[in-house]
Amino acid sequence: MKRVLSNKWNIAVFVLPTVLFFTYIVIFPIFKTLWYSLLNEIPAKIGDQSHFSGIEHYITMFTPGRRNSFPGAVVNSLSYAAISVFIQLPFSLFIALLLANGVKGESMYRNVFFIPVVISSVVVSLLWGRLYKSLLPQIFESLNWEIPKNGFLGNEQTKILFSFIPSLWQYVGYHMLLMYGALKSIPDDIIEAATVDGASGPMLAFRIQIPMIKPMLKVCLSFSLIGSFKLFDTPWVLLERSNMDLPALSMYVEMFSNHKYSYASAQAIFIVLECLVFTVLLNVVFKDRDGKRLGRGKGAA
Amino acid sequence: MKRKVTVGTILKQVFLILWLILCLFPLYWMFTMSLKDTNEIFGGNMVGLPTQWLWSNYGNAWGSGGRVSNYMLNSVIDTFATLIGTSLLGYMSAYGLLRMRWKGQKVVFTYILMGMMIPMHAALYPLTEILLTLTKTHWALIIPYVAFNIPITILILSGFIANIPYEMEEAACIDGSGIYRTAFTIILPMMVPALITAAIFVFLQVWNELLLASLFTTDSVRTLTVGIKQMSGQYQTDYGSMGAGLVIATLPTLVLYMCMSGQVQKSLIAGAVKG
Repeated sequence: MKRVLSNKWNIAVFVLPTVLFFTYIVIFPIFKTLWYSLLNEIPAKIGDQSHFSGIEHYITMFTPGRRNSFPGAVVNSLSYAAISVFIQLPFSLFIALLLANGVKGESMYRNVFFIPVVISSVVVSLLWGRLYKSLLPQIFESLNWEIPKNGFLGNEQTKILFSFIPSLWQYVGYHMLLMYGALKSIPDDIIEAATVDGASGPMLAFRIQIPMIKPMLKVCLSFSLIGSFKLFDTPWVLLERSNMDLPALSMYVEMFSNHKYSYASAQAIFIVLECLVFTVLLNVVFKDRDGKRLGRGKGAA
Repeated sequence: MKRKVTVGTILKQVFLILWLILCLFPLYWMFTMSLKDTNEIFGGNMVGLPTQWLWSNYGNAWGSGGRVSNYMLNSVIDTFATLIGTSLLGYMSAYGLLRMRWKGQKVVFTYILMGMMIPMHAALYPLTEILLTLTKTHWALIIPYVAFNIPITILILSGFIANIPYEMEEAACIDGSGIYRTAFTIILPMMVPALITAAIFVFLQVWNELLLASLFTTDSVRTLTVGIKQMSGQYQTDYGSMGAGLVIATLPTLVLYMCMSGQVQKSLIAGAVKG
């Protein structure tokens, strides 16, 4: 039995194809991108010269200048992250709490709220694009609100915000479902005990339920942060092709329209680093909190 | 215990119904748009039901005007092939990594799972170099789709495979079954629910993917996402057909969700909790 399960040849047959394939298609290209980002330019054909330029592209990326849109793109992605963390997630949590605490039609609501998640982001963007062009102006008019010049997506001030809305709308259901699932897995006797002690409504939510689903909140937070840095589909469909107002869009345009491959590679690496840094930060923040809570718990006991 | 109708419960319901409408409105808008003519879409009847139900829009989008039938076929082929790839490679490596015993299995497992943290963007240009010669074929998408979805598949399978007792293998071994027979005829059938969970997750990822699909497909192998994005640019005048294209592109995922909403939700939860 043991001999069968640790036969080297068998193990190789099971594991090796996947590992090699995965390494060649996923891991190897990442290191290649890193290498490219450190070259002055990628040779277009054999015989062309390219030389090592170190972190030059990374410096150019953040050198302020009228024609450099990357710092602005990073700021935009951070503002998406902020909107997501401070508006989208609390909103989703609120819905999750309402549903988990029992309302009439609980599972019907849950199922419907999740529908946008399964729809392609291209379809979602195109639909919202049509809404912005036809229905929304009418609503604004009838409410006597001012419609931005050149339309919601044509106006420099409003276009970024309005290109964010579809994906914010789309993923409320996902966050809601994750939080709802976590809330439902809190043992009933804890909720009952708290209710007997007189906790209800907001008190129950803030003292018992939210602290107990912290691990899931962390998952949601990292989802929304990483999602903001990688945000591509919706703004790409809604805004014009040459738009560079978000990091992933900027990378795409530099790479495939301007053919500055190595500079674009540096932007790609920056996006990866940004994701990694925020993942680590989240881990640190949540570990600290957990430690403190455990400490306090012991003291009380 | 009977719940009393209070102001609170009414407010709750009002709030939930408002969000319900906001969730469903774009879909309603899409379905009605797909049955109207352009005049109606732009004219007075933006929100209402179509005055005449123009099913011909679907014909236009599917066949002559648009080429949604083509896009659909390509999406089906790519998605189906990807699912076969991720299921086969995912299951085999999950078995080898988690059931068999060898030095370094944990290291390799972590190595593959780390791949999940890395966004596809980071591999884009080198991938172009690898796949550029394949863009006239389906392989240009199937290959990266399988590779990038292997980690999540293995992760979802790993949660299930740990619950199968080792006695299964012991009994099979005593009965004289070889490792391949054990893996594929005894353990695999028990893993079907896990494989379905993983497959649904991967299906939604692949069916809705845009970035790679827009880079690595040429005309004859265009997938739905890229196709309808292009249509929206080309058919500026015929919004009814565009609406029909959107409906056709959405229908498969929507039908899947309606038939097995519980299973779909379970898949997406499993895919999210990446540890």
